[in-house]
Amino acid sequence: MDLNQLRKVAAEVVSRDDVKYLIGWRRGTFGYRVAPYFVEDAAGVDELIFSPLCISNLATYLTLVEKLPVPRGQEPDKRKVALLVKGCDSRAVAQLLVEKGVKREEIVVVGLPCPGMIDRDLLAEKYPETDKAAELRWNGEDFLLVGEGEDIVIPRAEVLAEKCRLCRHPNPVLSDITVGEPVKPWAAADDSGVAEIEAKGAAERWDYWEEQFSKCVRCYSCKSACPLCYCEDCILDRLDPIWVNRAVNFSENTAFHLARAFHLAGRCVECGECERVCPAGIPLGKLNRKLAQTVREEYGFEPGLDPEAEPFQASYKPDDPEEFIL
Amino acid sequence: MSAMLLHKEKWSEFTGKLSGKNLWAPVVQGEMKKFAPVAEGDPVNLEEGNTTVPPKALLFPQTETLYRFSAGGEELELPEADEEIILLGVRPCDARAIALVENLFRWDFDDPYYLKRRELTTLIGLACNEPELNCFCPSVGGSPASTEGLDILLTDLGESYLLETITDKGKALAEECKDLLEEAPAGAVEQKEKLAQDALGKIKWSVDPEGIPEALPQLWEDPLWGRVSAPCLGCGICTYLCPTCYCFDIQDEIEGSAGRRCRMWDSCMFAEYTKHTSGHNPRPTRRERTRNRINHKYSYFVDKFGVIACVGCGRCSTLCPVNIDLIDILRQVKAAQ
Repeated sequence: MDLNQLRKVAAEVVSRDDVKYLIGWRRGTFGYRVAPYFVEDAAGVDELIFSPLCISNLATYLTLVEKLPVPRGQEPDKRKVALLVKGCDSRAVAQLLVEKGVKREEIVVVGLPCPGMIDRDLLAEKYPETDKAAELRWNGEDFLLVGEGEDIVIPRAEVLAEKCRLCRHPNPVLSDITVGEPVKPWAAADDSGVAEIEAKGAAERWDYWEEQFSKCVRCYSCKSACPLCYCEDCILDRLDPIWVNRAVNFSENTAFHLARAFHLAGRCVECGECERVCPAGIPLGKLNRKLAQTVREEYGFEPGLDPEAEPFQASYKPDDPEEFIL
Repeated sequence: MSAMLLHKEKWSEFTGKLSGKNLWAPVVQGEMKKFAPVAEGDPVNLEEGNTTVPPKALLFPQTETLYRFSAGGEELELPEADEEIILLGVRPCDARAIALVENLFRWDFDDPYYLKRRELTTLIGLACNEPELNCFCPSVGGSPASTEGLDILLTDLGESYLLETITDKGKALAEECKDLLEEAPAGAVEQKEKLAQDALGKIKWSVDPEGIPEALPQLWEDPLWGRVSAPCLGCGICTYLCPTCYCFDIQDEIEGSAGRRCRMWDSCMFAEYTKHTSGHNPRPTRRERTRNRINHKYSYFVDKFGVIACVGCGRCSTLCPVNIDLIDILRQVKAAQ
């Protein structure tokens, strides 16, 4: 990835009168951290990076923005928001367009073909984080940890994030500007995480999820980080009636996670943010990927590939055989 | 304070003895480290650093029943009485947090639920010989061997633990275990002090809080809040997993004709936290909510109780999914002053 080219494109984009800011990534404050970065003018682009640590999905910020009421007599700021997207992130944008959560004319999409991201925890197990912000690069198939003395080559298989092992769409599915050459998609690995759970018996599966959901502290980082969890009025916040109790226990936690999973069926683009941000290490990706797999296999539908597609859960065909209805 | 020695070969006997008295200690469950009950013979994990969920959760449970009620019932039913509990392996920062939070629960009203539990709890600390990556306790008045809030402090001396009793509660417990303890030999306390000194030297981050409580109100509209809160996802990680955050909500849970009134953790980082029934929200965006989080810890609590409500455990910085770093924010506050 040629960072100079990215920064040049970014500078042009943020300098446009119709662009408010560009959302990208910059180096974090320590270790393998990378922070989402809001660039407001061309002077800010020098800090922009695109590295194997830029795993977070910035599409979340499109719906996360909290707009203050516009004072009487003033016009709302209608400038566009520009953002950098990898393949998976672009699918979230496409799905948001399908759902009209975001309008096409409100955004400028800068596509970045993605050679695959690092799972920070896997990397930190081998090379513990330090108080210095580390630099990681792609190095052919592998990764390179840029050291103060010698650089360390880290084999791809050792630290590649699970979502990237399973990735079928590393190139952005939509963009206004693409920086870098398309990458050659790799053969997606079998989803052993989902298969492992499918292989369990019902009782064993129940025990597995009981253990997982019991760890949940209901910080809602999964729903906060999810680019497609953006209902203005979430059932979890309802107080009258209370659909899901605030009480933290296995029963309520399960109600929360299953409600979220069902609401994401046919919408989840498998960006893996829910699982990445979870402080309890609950394997939410497996849950959401199972539903995505079912929708793909049973209905031949994959969300977030076509911004013009009909939304899966809201589409209807008169010739649907409806074989499951007795 | 008296010092004794607990040989590591007596460790399982020691924990075995305590396990009969409702012992809780850190356990590792996948990525999650938390305090869990320890039965006799269960391994106790003291190797890892801080637990993901701080031990505040044992004194101030995430959900607790205040009382039960039923339609037509004349009496409110109080929850079952708590029992005595021993927390083993509490890090000094988390123990200090428990001492700080007590200010709140003793403030305008003595909170019977919290204070009863506090009374029933014995805290056995473990000094941090190896501080973690984001520790900064000395900057906010703590230290890797601080005894504040603790009843007993253990220090790993290699072959044995130095066991120092801090309170009468700690002394009484040590007395019960005296068969397993021996007099600390000459030099053991000095060795502990040396370890504590070395630990201080291993801490990477620091910020001088001098002037921050006074500066914060002046920086109310400073652009720094927009900057630092821009990446915030608005989740509850930094508050729920903070050892000094104590905000709660009270809700009724009703099933059929009976229910309970319960108290549960709440987070000032949630939009719903300050949302009025009218729909108006005085903290409408994550900018105001982030500003509140910092102001509460580094200004309001100081005004009220004379101490910063942060113990420098570093959890918020370590666990934030988008690298919002408390030290970075404090440094920006100092720079904007």
